[in-house]
Amino acid sequence: MQLQFLILIVLAVTATIFSIVTSIAMVVRKALELGRSRAHARLYQIYSSQVAEFLLIELPALENQPRASDAFRQYESLLSPVKQRLEQMNPSRRRFHRSVLRSVLIDMTQDLTGESAGRLVYFFYSLGFVEEEIQLLQSGRWWIRAQAARHSGLMRARKSITALTAALEDNHPDVRHQAMQALIVLVGVDALSTILRLSRNISQWTAIELSVIVAGFKEEAVPHLIGALESRDQSVVLFAIEMLAEVGFVTAVDPLMNLIRTSRDVKIQACAASALGRLGDERAKTLLTGLLSNRWAPIRLKSLEALGKTGGPDVVKLLTPYLETADAQEKLTAARALATTGVKGLKVLQEYEKRHMDEKADLVRQVLEEFGLEPTHG
Amino acid sequence: MDRSLVETALEFLTNGYLLFVVIYFIGVSLTYTILLVIAVREILNQLRHDKFCNFRLTVQSELTPPVSILAPAFNEGPTIIQSVRSLLKLSYGKYETVVINDGSKDDTLATLIEHFKMFRSRHVYHPAIRTKNVRAIYKSKLPEYRNLVVVDKENGGKADALNVGINVARYEYVCCIDADSILEDDALQKVMKAFLEDEKVVAVGGIVRIANGCEVVNGRVVKVGLSDHFVPVFQVVEYFRAFLSGRMSWQALNGLLIISGAFGLFKKKAIIEVGGYKHDSVGEDMELIVRLHRIYREKNERYRVTFVPDPVCWTEAPETLRVLGRQRNRWHRGLLDTMLIHRKMLFNPRYGIIGMAAMPYFVLVELLGPVFEFFGYVAMAVMLATGTLNEQLALLFFIVALFYGVMFSVGAVLLEEMSFQRYPKPGDLALLLSFGVLENFGYRQLTAWWRVKAFWDYFRGKKSWGKMERKGFSRPSK
Repeated sequence: MQLQFLILIVLAVTATIFSIVTSIAMVVRKALELGRSRAHARLYQIYSSQVAEFLLIELPALENQPRASDAFRQYESLLSPVKQRLEQMNPSRRRFHRSVLRSVLIDMTQDLTGESAGRLVYFFYSLGFVEEEIQLLQSGRWWIRAQAARHSGLMRARKSITALTAALEDNHPDVRHQAMQALIVLVGVDALSTILRLSRNISQWTAIELSVIVAGFKEEAVPHLIGALESRDQSVVLFAIEMLAEVGFVTAVDPLMNLIRTSRDVKIQACAASALGRLGDERAKTLLTGLLSNRWAPIRLKSLEALGKTGGPDVVKLLTPYLETADAQEKLTAARALATTGVKGLKVLQEYEKRHMDEKADLVRQVLEEFGLEPTHG
Repeated sequence: MDRSLVETALEFLTNGYLLFVVIYFIGVSLTYTILLVIAVREILNQLRHDKFCNFRLTVQSELTPPVSILAPAFNEGPTIIQSVRSLLKLSYGKYETVVINDGSKDDTLATLIEHFKMFRSRHVYHPAIRTKNVRAIYKSKLPEYRNLVVVDKENGGKADALNVGINVARYEYVCCIDADSILEDDALQKVMKAFLEDEKVVAVGGIVRIANGCEVVNGRVVKVGLSDHFVPVFQVVEYFRAFLSGRMSWQALNGLLIISGAFGLFKKKAIIEVGGYKHDSVGEDMELIVRLHRIYREKNERYRVTFVPDPVCWTEAPETLRVLGRQRNRWHRGLLDTMLIHRKMLFNPRYGIIGMAAMPYFVLVELLGPVFEFFGYVAMAVMLATGTLNEQLALLFFIVALFYGVMFSVGAVLLEEMSFQRYPKPGDLALLLSFGVLENFGYRQLTAWWRVKAFWDYFRGKKSWGKMERKGFSRPSK
């Protein structure tokens, strides 16, 4: 009985201590956090104005062919009072001030270009932030490595390129992804080939994030994307196809057609067929027509869609018989493809709808409605 | 019969019962502790991960898959316009909103047709899942509402309405919600991310929070607060426990058995594959998820059902004990129904973590827990009266049980505080903590009673939802 009592008392005491300590800690922490965030906001304001001043100060003109070190000396003269002040602080205060200063500089660097951006980059090096980030890229915690990769990119610290390239093969996808973005900022479009070569299992999410950056490079990205079509990783190839279609540059047509001919992957073939449709190049018509008799439904459907986007009277003629197919999905896709070709295709649909007053034309009526045309029957 | 023999038998029974109670209590407490620890780890990981995600990109990118939002509506005439307008304003790339009028007896359909200038569409209805008859499909003449579809159908219940929505949906992903829920602007972006990161994911649930006491303007929660009534505040703590601790930890183990009917995103193909929502179940949302697990595991297919704690759906919670009682009764009948339908999975190693851990947890802790608790109180009273119980020991055990209840409530508030901190004022936090303590003195016992009563109602054949009373979201907080 005594043992039972003892166990129950221990349990009760544990639960009570946990509840009381946690509750008090939470409320106190919340109050402290409010105070800390206020202090952070105040200090942020002070450093923001100070850094803005550093950026606006006009420095004495340098000789005709100035060395980088001359400019750095000037930048250092701006920064030295801040550095002196930081050195006089105790370690915890210095840590807090440095973290605020780092966030101010990082926030500012995103909006600046030219000589002002150069000043900021120098500040990052001079204050030791770049070295810190390179060291943090080796951290055992993935979120610290990912943060360091992101900061390295934002600091435009070319010194971290080697460490970032190594991070492309990190175990954690977030670290890899941040390293990709940082390298693109630091190296530009030329980083794409390395990134795509080293990438594996690109999730749709990463593809979306990367697509925004790649789309920004427009046709400059095309050679790198064409190179990526040879990757052994399905996700990399699918990403490259998608981006080639989005960038919309005609040099992609031949490589995409080759890919359809050589690949045995249904998903890749279907995606490439769809991309050819988006590129809308006449050269792809024969290949796409051939694919209409492919044994795989996704390839057939994507080819129908693609032909619709390519357009032309020959396509209308080619697609019309598909309105008679028994496969509802194929019929619907063909009807939509016909509507996409333009006036002639829509006319074919309207005539079909007039000819068939029964439910055979229901899908055609639906498509006509989707394209803003009022069907005559139904 | 010999008197001492009776006494010995009684003593044996009492001791046996007490041993069972202690073992059960320790088992449940241990399970809750493990789940809480897993949830803390998961939430921290999720928060760290989210720091590196730019959710806005899903709005900008062409690669973002489009979504069909399905909102079943039954007699929602007074609030339907505001609800639909708020659904049409979400921040997401390409999506459509499908409102399914489930044979409303009021003016729900007429209001929608008139307000959104709708016309009868020629859209062909291809039922991949069998449903009640669809009378008509409407679309808007106004270009700004081109992504709105209204389906008018015969009354068949929420599950049937959702099945119709799935049949009508144009896109590969369907988001099932309650028509009167409020989705946060970026909720779809956040919930979709789970699919985009892992192609094995077939269903994702988002967190449901209580809107009572919050300030709602134009169908958006603009200021988070706590209700003046005590009933919704108790539920806030309960929701923290259920969503942040329970669902977060089970999803980490791929053992999540429920995605709330108020907010869930699914791969349409997966729902069709398993036959859609079961229209004769009161717990259709849970039943669907258990069936998904069952069928995918029977087919040996790789899949994931997951939960994302950040995309928020706000819902109005019952403000009176009477309505809350009805709601809890229905939830418990739904749980019982689902467990009975899929009883084959229980302790069946073929179903992996579902059969060996998630289902046993739901049966022994969630389903039978209130029964054990309720009869524990009764038995304790009887034993005290007959003098077969050590009073000091009983009292101490009672205190331990209460304190553990308090500990898990505080743990749930701690999870919220560590992660999303939606209640910004220290005063709100203190209030939530106090309610976390108070709920163990009366409220918990009351909910246990409602849930025990659900067994009686279920076996009597009660299948109804019970009338829900809602005041609507237009009231600002005081």
